Amino acid sequence: MAPTKKISLSEEELVSKLKAQDTLAIRALYDMYSGALLGVISRIIPQTEVAEDLLQETFIKIWNSAISYDPSKGRLFTWMMNIARNLSIDKLRSKDFRNSGKNQDIENNVDFIDSQKEITFNADLLGIKDMVTALKPEFNAVLNMVYFKGYTHVEAAEELNLPLGTVKTRIRMAILELRKNFN
Amino acid sequence: MEEGKAYIESGILELYVLGQLNAQEQAEVEAMALQYPEIKQEMAAIEIAMEQYALQYSVSPAEGLEEKILGQIGHATGSEPAIVKEAQPAREAVVVPIGNTAAYDNKIKTLRLALVACVALLLVSVVALYSAHNELGSAKVQIAELTLDRQKFTSTVNFMKQTNEDLQKIADMNTDPNWKIVKLAGTTMDPNANMMVYWHVTGRHVMMDNSKMHLPVTDQEHQYQLWALVNGKPVDLGVFDVKNDKSKILVNMKEIASAQTFAVTLEKRGGSPSPTMDQMIVAGNVSI
Repeated sequence: MAPTKKISLSEEELVSKLKAQDTLAIRALYDMYSGALLGVISRIIPQTEVAEDLLQETFIKIWNSAISYDPSKGRLFTWMMNIARNLSIDKLRSKDFRNSGKNQDIENNVDFIDSQKEITFNADLLGIKDMVTALKPEFNAVLNMVYFKGYTHVEAAEELNLPLGTVKTRIRMAILELRKNFN
Repeated sequence: MEEGKAYIESGILELYVLGQLNAQEQAEVEAMALQYPEIKQEMAAIEIAMEQYALQYSVSPAEGLEEKILGQIGHATGSEPAIVKEAQPAREAVVVPIGNTAAYDNKIKTLRLALVACVALLLVSVVALYSAHNELGSAKVQIAELTLDRQKFTSTVNFMKQTNEDLQKIADMNTDPNWKIVKLAGTTMDPNANMMVYWHVTGRHVMMDNSKMHLPVTDQEHQYQLWALVNGKPVDLGVFDVKNDKSKILVNMKEIASAQTFAVTLEKRGGSPSPTMDQMIVAGNVSI
């Protein structure tokens, strides 16, 4: 039953079909974004099995909460990404997950993903790999903490012993660097 | 323009895209985005960058996860697991009411039995009440009959008592010398007429014997009147009728201290002050 042809729809089509509870929207979203979302989840929860459960939860929540998505407030992917991140951070902080003994030290996560990234890279984007890794390490560290490790920017500021404004600036600089590469 | 630029450079838009803001801060950013197109534009650029970044770090999910997700969503295109998962609760849902129905059937059976018992009891009660009512009716009739009988007996006993007393008195008269038994014989007016008068000399009592009175029945305007002749002068002793019922034997008349002769005349109803001599029907002398 593996789909032979990837489904791809415009953002407007995706949103209207999703709100109309057309399963084609979920198929398309899965084909277009399941890898990206699993990437975000795996940065926070490296265990493949748990991460895939979370991906499943993410899609179910996307399906059930479709009505609450407001396109005027942001892109569909941003909304989905934040669902995936919030579910993952909730999982990371949940008692049963911390007690499972499966979780690894949070500091190892980035290295764990880094060891996997050779095989998980999207082939279309392979060319920009070097640019991403070329981000200034101190900017990258703050973005990683907030984006991948479940820290709030306030917690990151405390952890890195930096003023809140500096943390904000570093996040902005890191993202600006990314934009230089993508635009 | 300057305000918009400063806002962009504060880094709040990045925090917004990363979901780092609370509801109030989010609303503020959204309002600013509506007001300043360059903020909206900047926000979109950040979003696209983060999207690209995420796509770059894609991790391919395991085979079959898509079908699993579609199955969970429910409206899936008829994948096997979805059908199995839905069929089982449905079968269970059918089983539960059967158990309940059996329980209800038992309850209904019990209630039906109770109803039949109630109806039977009601019928028995009605029959019992009806028969009791009938018996009460016949008992009432019997009581009425018995009361009537008792009244008859009482009157009979009273009559017999009276008769017995009178007869006893008459019997005693023969041995008591103070009682004078005077037989009044018929005159020329009716030779067949006769009667008996008892007179107690010292007690002055005068009685007629109703059982031994043989006088013709009078009409409505006339009555018999008893007289005593005391030294040739008639003294009224009262009026009387000839009665067909002989319930009372002895009839008391007016008292008299002395008398030689007793006589009865036919007078107008209520009696006369002096006797009509040609209407004397019986008379008799007191024997010494």
